[in-house]
Amino acid sequence: MAVAVTPDTKKNYLTALKEAIAEEMARNPDMICMGEDIGALGGAFGVTDGLIAQYGRERVYDMPISEAAIVGTACGLCLNGKTVMVEMQFIDFISCGFDQIVNMTATYHYRTAGEVNIPMVIRGPAGAYGGGALYHSQMNEAWFANSPGLKIICPSTPYDAKGLMKAALRDPNPVIVYEIKDLYRKREIEEVLPEEDYVVPLGKAKVVQEGDDVTIVTYGQNVYHALGAAEKLKEEGFSAEVIDIRTIVPLDEDTIVESLKKTNRLVVVNEAPRTCGFAGELLSRMTERAFEYLDAPPVRITRMDTPVPWVKPLELYVLPSVAKITEAALKVCRY
Amino acid sequence: MATTTTDTAQTSPDGQSSPGNRPSDRLTPDDYRELLKQLYLARYFDVRLIKEKKRGRLRGTLYSSHNQEAILVGSLYGLEPMDWISPIHRDMPAFFLKDFRSGWDNPDRMGMTIEEVCSQVWGKATSPGRARDNWSHIGSKSKRIIHSTSMLAGTIPAAAGVVLADRLNGLNTVAVTYNGEGSTAQGVFHEAINFAAVEKLPVVTIIENNQWAYGTPTHYEYPLEDFARRADGYGIPGLVADGQDVIDVYNKVMQAVEHARSGNGPSIVECKTFRAYGHGDHDDDRAEKYRPAEEVEKGRKRDPLHVMKARMIEMGILTQEEADKHPAEGKGASEVTDADFPPEVSEYLSRGVNFAVKAPLPDETEGAMWVFKEGE
Repeated sequence: MAVAVTPDTKKNYLTALKEAIAEEMARNPDMICMGEDIGALGGAFGVTDGLIAQYGRERVYDMPISEAAIVGTACGLCLNGKTVMVEMQFIDFISCGFDQIVNMTATYHYRTAGEVNIPMVIRGPAGAYGGGALYHSQMNEAWFANSPGLKIICPSTPYDAKGLMKAALRDPNPVIVYEIKDLYRKREIEEVLPEEDYVVPLGKAKVVQEGDDVTIVTYGQNVYHALGAAEKLKEEGFSAEVIDIRTIVPLDEDTIVESLKKTNRLVVVNEAPRTCGFAGELLSRMTERAFEYLDAPPVRITRMDTPVPWVKPLELYVLPSVAKITEAALKVCRY
Repeated sequence: MATTTTDTAQTSPDGQSSPGNRPSDRLTPDDYRELLKQLYLARYFDVRLIKEKKRGRLRGTLYSSHNQEAILVGSLYGLEPMDWISPIHRDMPAFFLKDFRSGWDNPDRMGMTIEEVCSQVWGKATSPGRARDNWSHIGSKSKRIIHSTSMLAGTIPAAAGVVLADRLNGLNTVAVTYNGEGSTAQGVFHEAINFAAVEKLPVVTIIENNQWAYGTPTHYEYPLEDFARRADGYGIPGLVADGQDVIDVYNKVMQAVEHARSGNGPSIVECKTFRAYGHGDHDDDRAEKYRPAEEVEKGRKRDPLHVMKARMIEMGILTQEEADKHPAEGKGASEVTDADFPPEVSEYLSRGVNFAVKAPLPDETEGAMWVFKEGE
């Protein structure tokens, strides 16, 4: 690491990501980083800061503004034995590389009957609530959840950010990482990270807060909104269990089902648009698997079916919030 | 059809194709005979599959490389075994022609066997891709053939990636990608060649300019006489080859390959040819809707078999009698018979066909396999 830290120094989400990538670069000599402005600048947010100085152009590539060529070249590198971390400057720009992700990369293992696997991580800053407007606020994970062959993760804490990123970089499959840019430097969530090497396995949800009356399932920034709602619910006499799924694909259904056996009530929160968003998938799977345990109709709180508008009142109007989650959860609890 | 064989002067790489300094000057008479035989084999592959389909022994669409064989044979002949290729739908013979010089039946050859390629055409479990995707959508990591998709120009970035990995590992290889002129309007074509040029990657982009992108003529695709001029914009060489002449293709591609192998970066080689039939056999009988019959007749006139035989006769390494012994040139699939081909050609392919016909289908449960690789 470039900066010496004392073991008990709290670290933010951005530092956690940075450490994960730097440590994996050191661990895996076949790992390469590619992205726009990730060299001397260290990336738009500084996640790759210092890598070019340490590893040079052979392993850290400042790329032209060509998302399709970035992903496609990374795919060729992986086909020929490398592991590649691709940075999308904003996850919104991933659409420019869409074909190379869903048709070339995601299907490679399948269409070669297992001959080829593509150990690629595509990561980038995602999510709304920061006034980023239409093209710097998206959560477009549902596009990729609907494209078999891609794993998708979305950490909400520094610990998970580091552990999941490391697991992703060691996974033999392509993994897309939705980093919540509003959490990058959020002081309130800073935490002390283990000094030793660790991973958070993909496909494992986390019970963030235990409760008995309702299960709120979410990920990303909305984990904190759900915790806020849980506080409000407490004032009304209800205890909410909050689950952060952390991995969207593959989904850890069991942890949610176990929770529903106890709470019998389900609220799903997701900042992506409502129609065909992942919240709908969560509801479907739980109604298939846990219908017998439910005492109230499950509900989802999502973004309205709109893009993310720019100025604050508009943005907050269309997105899930503590108030909206609280209101929905109270209805479910009082059903 | 344009048949210019001149390089675009301002973009030619080192080593002009002046007599005495051409890559083909290093070819022996045996090389010429081998090239002719490979042309026969590529043609026979095409017409045999059409016959098999007419007999009802084969399903699926066929994308004919008829009249374009010189591009495949000429471009592959000079490659090293460890070089990469990236063929697309009209390049089916490339899968077995790769590293063919190492011996048609050499088990260590860095190309697919005829049994593997036929198994893929027939959709059998013995296909390298176990028949999970159709026609040309196969490849081989170990044989260094990039697996194509239906998204045209989509494998050029992968070609850049594999040779970049080789370069990092200290291997001096070249990747040759095959593309119809129709794919050149794709954004990823530009993105990939631009990056390859920036990074001086050894990627040779062959444009098989057969004048037709399915039902659309070139003048609706790009406003240039020679597409190769597009190379100027990337600061790389752009060459034009006579796609009917296997030797001219060999010379131009080898110039580009040597340029790449010397560390000078990518090139575009435009091979001018003509698509003899429809886009696929499904549209053969509709092709006259968009292509005047006289254009088709004119386009098919310079059969690559005929051009090569004429060359060899002129060089004194083939007699007229030998040339006439197997007169496959100028004949369509319905007119040609096995007697029009050298017996070793028809026997070689028959072996693949017979293997594929008898091979088993994959088990149905494989349809749900290999979505993810299991963790380590």
